[in-house]
Amino acid sequence: MLSRRDEFLTGLCVMALGALVLWWIIPTYITTPRRVPILALSPAFWPRIIAWTILGCGLILVLRAALAPAPPDAVADDLSVSRPEGLRLLALGAILIGIFFALPVVGMVWVCMIAYALMVLLSGGKNLGWGMIIAILLPLLLYLFFTKVAGVAIPQGQIVRLP
Amino acid sequence: MTFLEALSAGFIMVAQWESIFFLAIGVTIGVVAGAIPGMSATMAVALTLPFTFALQPIFGILLLLGVYKGGIFGGSIPAILIKTPGTPASSATALDGYPMAEQGRAGEALSMSLYASCIADLISNLALIVFAAWLASFALNFGPPEMFTLIVFSLTIIAGVSGDSLVKGIVAASLGLLLATVGLDLIAGSERLTFGSVDMRGGLNFIAVLIGLFALPEIIAYMRKSASADHRVRGMGYSKLKMVDFRRSLKSIFRGSAIGVFLGAIPGIGAAPSAFLSYSEARRASPNRDNFGKGEVEGVAAAEAGNNGVAGATLIPLLSLGIPGDVITAIIIGAFMVHNLTPGPLLFVNNADLVYALFIGLIASSFLLLIIGSVAIRAFRYIADVPSNLLFPGVLVLCIYGVYAVNNSIFDVAVMLVMGVVGYIMLILRFPAAPFLIGFILGPMLENNFRQALLMSRGDLSIFARGPITILFLCMTVISVVLIIRSTVKAARLKRELGAYGEKSAPQGPKT
Repeated sequence: MLSRRDEFLTGLCVMALGALVLWWIIPTYITTPRRVPILALSPAFWPRIIAWTILGCGLILVLRAALAPAPPDAVADDLSVSRPEGLRLLALGAILIGIFFALPVVGMVWVCMIAYALMVLLSGGKNLGWGMIIAILLPLLLYLFFTKVAGVAIPQGQIVRLP
Repeated sequence: MTFLEALSAGFIMVAQWESIFFLAIGVTIGVVAGAIPGMSATMAVALTLPFTFALQPIFGILLLLGVYKGGIFGGSIPAILIKTPGTPASSATALDGYPMAEQGRAGEALSMSLYASCIADLISNLALIVFAAWLASFALNFGPPEMFTLIVFSLTIIAGVSGDSLVKGIVAASLGLLLATVGLDLIAGSERLTFGSVDMRGGLNFIAVLIGLFALPEIIAYMRKSASADHRVRGMGYSKLKMVDFRRSLKSIFRGSAIGVFLGAIPGIGAAPSAFLSYSEARRASPNRDNFGKGEVEGVAAAEAGNNGVAGATLIPLLSLGIPGDVITAIIIGAFMVHNLTPGPLLFVNNADLVYALFIGLIASSFLLLIIGSVAIRAFRYIADVPSNLLFPGVLVLCIYGVYAVNNSIFDVAVMLVMGVVGYIMLILRFPAAPFLIGFILGPMLENNFRQALLMSRGDLSIFARGPITILFLCMTVISVVLIIRSTVKAARLKRELGAYGEKSAPQGPKT
């Protein structure tokens, strides 16, 4: 359960999302034919209904947060992020973004090996020896399975190619 | 194909060593994943899905069903031994299972849990065989208006998987529905929400979305905290399940199985309410009701029977109507789609042999669960000892390979990573992920049937009340919505009263 303030802000964000979809994303990114014989057959019909639902639910969340009694502090979830947690999240974000951009260049096997090892280090480096062994073996075994058994062309990258 | 022909063709399909092999592998993966604190049956099914691409449809689907069955039972092992339910439905098992473990009777609790699970699973599978074909033959008469009203009714299942807040469940489902509209519009042929990307013209890949939603948020949450919980594993003890205890629990097992079958067949209710209802009914009817909650073996039996009784029954709406009964069956739809199979009434016409093969395989899975479960109980100490800091990075690697393998697309990996972040934000803001996935799956079906019906009627909305079937579904939807609103208002009132009581009873200390 979130605190009243967090719940209120969440409701506002949901409303903002609904409004954004309704008045910017749908008009800009949905191409509707000039003449639609039945309104419900327009490509924008469903997205509009959904966006209105999101907007309405956001409003309910805001009103509920404003009118309902606040949960006791002991029950409410704390959304604050400590400095080490924030740093770990940032590092993980960098790893995830790095994975996406490195996949076509470095290849899936090597990227996964590096990502695994980095994540083991990021989570405190316990069982480091086992971690490094698994970091090498797991992507290789998966590569063998998908390439040789499933017939999937795993991206090899442009640096070191596997047989 | 007659019933007997389909049955014999199905038997031939299953009577291959690979069928039993993949089923056994699936049950093993499920039991192990269910037993590892932090993993869940849902995550296990999602991660196993990409490995089924290379398999024949029957082997792949049996593998996933094995994971599903094993995962549900596996969740009860940590519930009993470390009071950490592997699945939400196992929480009821912990009520009596953990006190039994504290009394040195863990072996007895685990044995009862296994036997109750296997019996309930078998009963649930038999119910599936009896009811699915009948329901499918009935559903063959459905046209777009009937399907639309059925899906509208099915969307009320969101209430069952919304957790604490129904409004947040509806927001999550709406986001899923919105995401499902991405791609080319089927009628106008125009682009919808593709943002000019060619990759998005075919819509977002279902498997990338589901793995992103269900596996990545757990990894992010673990990496943020990065501290493994200190699990105190109880020993097995020396007590064994006595025949007399088993016999007196049989009534609760059968009652729990019946509750599980009934609730499982209704989309969206899921295993947790069934387990708790079965538990409370057993307590009400038992002569040992005072012992419940303090280590009563009948309590473990009732909870596990209610929990596993849904496993076969949730496949009834999936196979006969194409509507997922819960989140895991929603993922299993993915396996059907990957193999160009569409669950629903036509599956019983076009692929009757496969359907009956699945039925026979499911019966076999109950017996495999008995064998594999008894080994897993003894091996739990080793399973639970897998360090989380080695497990979660491995899950990420599995996700990357698995999602890429669906379409050989790096864009799908990007979708998964983005959905992982979205899923994590939803997790911390307490938005449930299950309604999102259900909205994403049912969205295209809902929209297509709505539009087809309107095309048929040339825009006349009265087509949605054209016959007894549509009217029945509309009435069921109204009743369901009224019940949901009533229970939500009741819960809110109770919360308000408790809040007021809390404020009154709270000590008035100085503000700091």
